[in-house]
Amino acid sequence: MATRLLKIGSALRIYTNKTSLVKIPKQWQSTAASLKETLINQPATRVTTLDSGMRVASEDSGAATATVGLWIDSGSRYETDDNNGVAHFMEHMAFKGTAKRSQTDLELEIENMGAHLNAYTSREQTVFYAKCLSQDVPKAIEILSDIIKNSKLGENEIERERGVILREMQEVETNLQEVVFDHLHAAAYQGTSLGRTILGPTKNIKSISRDDLQHYVKTHYGPSRFVLAGAGGVDHNQLIELANKHFGQMAGPDYDAIPEYVKACRYTGSEIRVRDDTIPLAHVAFAVEGAGWAEADNIPLMVANTLIGAWDRSQGGGVNNASNLAKTCAEDGLCHSYQSFNTCYKDTGLWGIYFVCDPMQCDDMISNIQHEWMKLCTSVTEKEVARAKNILKTNMFLQLDGTTAICEDIGRQILCYNRRIPLHELEMRIDSVTAQTIQNVGMKYIFDQCPVIAAVGPVENLPDYNYIRGAMYWLRV
Amino acid sequence: MSQKPLIVAIRKSFTCTKYFNIWQRCNFSSQRIPIQLSENQKKSVTSFPPLTESIPNLPKPIYSTAKEEHQVTKITVLPNGLKVASENRFGQFCTIGVLIDSGPRYEAAYPSGISHFLEKLAFGSTNTYDSKDKIMLALEKHGGICDCQASRDTFVYAASAERRGLDIITQVLGDIVLRPKITEEEVQIAKQTVQFELESLHTRPEQEPILMDMIHAAAYRNNTLGLPKICPQENIEKIDRKTLHIYLKHHYVPSRMVVAGVGVEHDDLVHAVNKYFVDQKPIWEEQADLILPNNRNTVDKSIAQYSAGCVMEECNVPIYAGPSGLPELSHVVIGLEGCSHQDPDFVAMCVLNMMMGGGGSFSAGGPGKGMYTRLYTNVLNRYHWLYSATAYNHAYADTGLFCIHASCTPSYVKDMVEVIIHEMVTMTSGVSDNELARAKKQLQSMLLMNLEQRPVVFEDIGRQVLATGSRKRPEYFMQAIDGISKDDIDRVARRLLKSPPCVAARGEVKTVPSITDIQNGLLDSQGRLPGSRSRLSLFR
Repeated sequence: MATRLLKIGSALRIYTNKTSLVKIPKQWQSTAASLKETLINQPATRVTTLDSGMRVASEDSGAATATVGLWIDSGSRYETDDNNGVAHFMEHMAFKGTAKRSQTDLELEIENMGAHLNAYTSREQTVFYAKCLSQDVPKAIEILSDIIKNSKLGENEIERERGVILREMQEVETNLQEVVFDHLHAAAYQGTSLGRTILGPTKNIKSISRDDLQHYVKTHYGPSRFVLAGAGGVDHNQLIELANKHFGQMAGPDYDAIPEYVKACRYTGSEIRVRDDTIPLAHVAFAVEGAGWAEADNIPLMVANTLIGAWDRSQGGGVNNASNLAKTCAEDGLCHSYQSFNTCYKDTGLWGIYFVCDPMQCDDMISNIQHEWMKLCTSVTEKEVARAKNILKTNMFLQLDGTTAICEDIGRQILCYNRRIPLHELEMRIDSVTAQTIQNVGMKYIFDQCPVIAAVGPVENLPDYNYIRGAMYWLRV
Repeated sequence: MSQKPLIVAIRKSFTCTKYFNIWQRCNFSSQRIPIQLSENQKKSVTSFPPLTESIPNLPKPIYSTAKEEHQVTKITVLPNGLKVASENRFGQFCTIGVLIDSGPRYEAAYPSGISHFLEKLAFGSTNTYDSKDKIMLALEKHGGICDCQASRDTFVYAASAERRGLDIITQVLGDIVLRPKITEEEVQIAKQTVQFELESLHTRPEQEPILMDMIHAAAYRNNTLGLPKICPQENIEKIDRKTLHIYLKHHYVPSRMVVAGVGVEHDDLVHAVNKYFVDQKPIWEEQADLILPNNRNTVDKSIAQYSAGCVMEECNVPIYAGPSGLPELSHVVIGLEGCSHQDPDFVAMCVLNMMMGGGGSFSAGGPGKGMYTRLYTNVLNRYHWLYSATAYNHAYADTGLFCIHASCTPSYVKDMVEVIIHEMVTMTSGVSDNELARAKKQLQSMLLMNLEQRPVVFEDIGRQVLATGSRKRPEYFMQAIDGISKDDIDRVARRLLKSPPCVAARGEVKTVPSITDIQNGLLDSQGRLPGSRSRLSLFR
C-alpha cells in the first residue's frame, strides 16, 4: 500500500517538474554562471549509505578541530501517553556510564581530551555529538557508539536522574517562551503525539523504569535511523570505516516498524490561554499550519517569515528595520520583543510569531500582526521580497561558520531531506521566489486559515478567538 | 529500503487523510480541510520538486579542497600610521573590521558613558549613507551583517559579507568610523536605548556586567580601567553631539587603528583602505563646527594603576522569574592583580585560569564544560549552597585582573568568601600532573575551537596587531601552552597572591568580611580568615 502511494506520488512529481522546466528557465540561467564561480571556495559534502542502512555524511575542511555526531530519527513524537519523556530521559542516561566506562571515566576521558560531549532531544530528532581536536575523531566516535549501544542504565543513576530532570523541568518553566511554545503545540496538535512535551509529564518522569528505557532503545535506536555526520578536520573514508566498525553489527528497528500514531499528526486551529496577572508581561504565540520539512513551499514560507522578521526594544534604530512590523513596533512601542518562526516537522509545521508585550497592548499587537499577514497575502511588493530574500540568504549562509554549526546542518538535512541541499541549489530556490510566490503561499497557508494561539500572563486584553479568526481574511481583496 | 526511509515515512503520512473524515462528520470547522476536498490547495505553490529531490539540470558545482597554505597573516603599515592586516581563508564570506584603541578606559576627561553611547550609535548616518537603513541595504546586497562591540580598551566595528562585497564593506567601515554624522535625532534614540538597557540590567537576575564594572572600579580606583562601561544614569542627559565628536577626533586617529580582514586578498584590502580611510578625510576635519576650537581634551595616556579596594552595593538582586525555586542570590567577586597580555607569565596565567575553571551548579551541557576544574571539584560539588563560582582572567595592555566570582544564598555569604580565599591560597600547592595536563589540553582545544569561526580569527588578528604590530600564530600559543610546567603555575600563583585583593559585592552583602580580613586571609597559609569559625575547617 505504502509503496504504491510512493510510486504514484513520485510520478506526479516528475510530471510537475517537467512543466516547471518550461516555466522558469530564465531565472535559472541568469544565476547559473555566477554560481559556478562562487562555489569553488567550499568543500563538498560527501554522503554514503552503508550496508547496515546507516548514513554517513561529512564535509572536510582540513581544520585542526572537528565535530562528529549521531543524528537519530527519533524523538518525543514517537512516544505514547504512557512513555512520554522517555526519549529525553534516555538522552540524560547516556552520560551516566556504560558497560566498560563508569560515569567518572567517561567524563575524565572527554575532559582530558579537551573535547566536549553534548546531546539534545527535539520532537523528531535525538542528537549526540562531540567536538574535539581532529586527531581525536576516532576516539570520539568510539565513545559516542559506546554510550549509545552499551549505556549501563543503572537503577541508582536512573533514580538520581529523575531529580535532575525534574529540576530541568522547573528551569524550563521559568522560561516563558518555552512554556508558550509547549502550549502552542499542545493546542495545534491536540490528541496527537506532536502535542506532547519533550520532557514529559511529572508523572512519567517519576515512573519511567529501566525496562521502559531499554524497550525504547531497542525499538528506536538502530543503524537505519542513524546519521553519522562530521565537519571540520574529518576524513570521509575514515568515518565510513569507523561507522562500520562501531555500528555495523548493531541490529535495530525497521522503518516500517514506525507505529501509525506517529504519522497522523493533524493540525487543529484552536487556542490556550493561561491568564496569570502576577506575571508582568503577556507572552503570546500566534501561528497557522505551515509546511513539512521537505515541501518545496517551505522556501517561500521562510522568505515570508523573514518579511515579518524580529525586533526587540534594546535593538536601537528599530525605525530603520527592514520589516514593516518592526517599524510599527518601534514607532508605537507596541511590544517589548517579537520574533517570527517557522517550525517544521515531517509532514506539518507551524508558521507564526511570538511576542512579549505590556498587558494592555495584546489587542493592538495582534491586529497589527494580522494586518501585516494580510498584506503578505495580497499586496507584498517585489522590493520588500528582494530585501527579505537577501536577509534570509545571509542568515542561512553566514551561520554556517564553525564545525559545530556545519555538522548540525549536515545531520539535520540528511535526516530531513536524505541529502544535503547544495548551496547553489538552495540559493536558486530562494532567488526564484517573487512577490507573486509569497502572495500564493500566503493565500495557501495564511489567508482565511484557522490560527492557533497560546497566551500566558496578563492576557485579558487579547481578543477572543472568533474575533481573531475573523481578521484572517480581508473582504476588500 | 534504507535508501529512502525518510521519504517513505513522509509519503506514508498522507494516509492520515482517513482520520479527517471522522472529524469532518463531527463538523469541527477549525480542523484542517480533508485533502480530497482541497485538491487545488494540495498543489505546491512553487514549481520546484520537494526539497528531498534535487532540481534537474543544475550547473555542476566545483568544490574546493581544503588548503593549508592560506594561513599567512599579511600586515601593511600605511604612511599615516594606520595598520592593515589580513589573512586569506576559504569560504564564500569575508569579515572585515576596524579595531580602535578606544573605550571607557580613556574617558577620564569626558563624562563616563561615551563608549556606551558610541556602541549604540555605531553604523548610523554618514555623509555617504544618510541613514542606518541605507547602510543595511548596501550590506544586505552582499549578504552582509554588521556589529559593533566595545570592551574596556578596544572598539571593534566589523562586518561580514560575501567576498565580492569587499569594497562596499570597506567604504561603510571608513564612513561610520571617520565620518559619522551623529545627528541630534540619533543621539535621542541612543539615549532611549541606553536608558532601556539600564532598566533591563537592573531587572535581570544576571549580574555579570554590573559586577565586572564594580570589580574594575575597586581594582583601579575609578581611573583608567576602573571607569564604568555602563553609562551612569546621571550622564545620559549630559552626553551630546559635540562631546561625542570631540572624543572621536582625539581617539579615532590612524595611529590608534587597525583594519583587519579575513577571507580577503591583502592587496585589495590595502587598496580599499587607502581609498576610504586615507583619501577621504574625517568629518571633524571637514566640518570644523562639529567640535570646539582649541579644546584641551586630549588622549589619556596614563598607565593603569592597580590598587586594592572594595566596592559594595547593598541591594535587592532580582530573582529568576517563575517557579524556579531559586532564592535571591548575593554576589561576591574577589580579584588579584594579574598580568598584561604581553607579560611573559601571560600564558601560565591562562593555564591557571583554566585549571580553576568553574561555572554554575545547574549549568547545562555534557562533559567538556570543565567538570573537573578546581572550582567544581573543590567548591561547587562540596558546598550545596553555592550557586556559581567562576574564575576570570582579564588581561590588558599594561595590567591584568585575575578574579573569582561566586554567588550564593545571602545567609552563607561569609562562608562563601572563606571558601574562595581558601581556593586562592591553595592555588600554589598540590598541582597534580593530571590536573595540569588537562588544563593545558583544554586551553589548547578552546583556542583552536574558537578559531574555527571567521569573526574570531578576525578579532584575534586585529587585537594582536593593535597591541604589538604583529600576529603570533595559533601554533605559537600551542607550543607556549605545552611548555608550561608546575613551577610556572606555582610562580604565577605566588605572584598573584603577593598583590593586595580587591573586592566587589552586590545583593545582601552586609556579612562580607572587611577588606583587611580578606587580605589577612590571603596571607594565611591555610587561607583562614581572622576569627573564622572552626566548623568550616573541619570540611577541608
